[in-house]
Amino acid sequence: MKLSSSEKNGVAILEPKGKIMGGPDATILHDKLHEFIENGIRKVVIDMGQVEWMNSTGLGILISGLTTLRNNQGELKLANVTGKIQSLLTITKLITVFEAFDSVEDAVKSFKA
Amino acid sequence: MKKPTIIENTIKIPSSQEYLPDVDSFLEGILRGYGIEESLIADIAISVTEMVNNGIIHGNKSDINKEVAVSILYKNSVLEITIIDQGEGFNPNGIENPIDDRNLLREVGRGIFIVNSLMDDVRFDVQYSKGTRVILSKHL
Repeated sequence: MKLSSSEKNGVAILEPKGKIMGGPDATILHDKLHEFIENGIRKVVIDMGQVEWMNSTGLGILISGLTTLRNNQGELKLANVTGKIQSLLTITKLITVFEAFDSVEDAVKSFKA
Repeated sequence: MKKPTIIENTIKIPSSQEYLPDVDSFLEGILRGYGIEESLIADIAISVTEMVNNGIIHGNKSDINKEVAVSILYKNSVLEITIIDQGEGFNPNGIENPIDDRNLLREVGRGIFIVNSLMDDVRFDVQYSKGTRVILSKHL
């Protein structure tokens, strides 16, 4: 997995690419999310458009980021959720936990509302 | 870093998650050779990496001197993948339901549930002190 990040209107955007299956790749995503939180960033969007698939390790990282942000009055939102990830979120009922948007732009805009 | 051992349709890795990409490459290469469609390959790869993670972490307790083996058999349109660790064994029935509302925000505990959802059959053969053998089946 590769990870890039950017910022738009005070919202941090993370863009993982590839597969999230556990080990060093998963640690990179976890650490980046928590680095944002430690630096006072409370609004995060994860662009899932380039994630081929993830297993429960990846889902655990998303949950960890979400709960840590919420505990700090922040929020984590998802964008561009692909078919495979959508299916995993549905199977695990996590679709009811995460707010997901069709585009990063929509997800960023939603923080203003 | 030790290298994985590959003999025909079996790969053996030391108990570290650093080797997960090796397992995935090995698995996906063989499945593509069988002509299996990409979406199914992803489901199978998700399931196998789940069980290898379990073998490394819960079975072998990340003891680098212990191995996790993955073997692939494709016969009569049935794909059977066996994952064996060298741990103490565990009780697969002692896991809480991850889709219970009380457990939705737990960071762990979804692996076996996901595998059961994606594969047609999941069998555990737990031999305490001798390791756990998990057999995943998919009708193709």
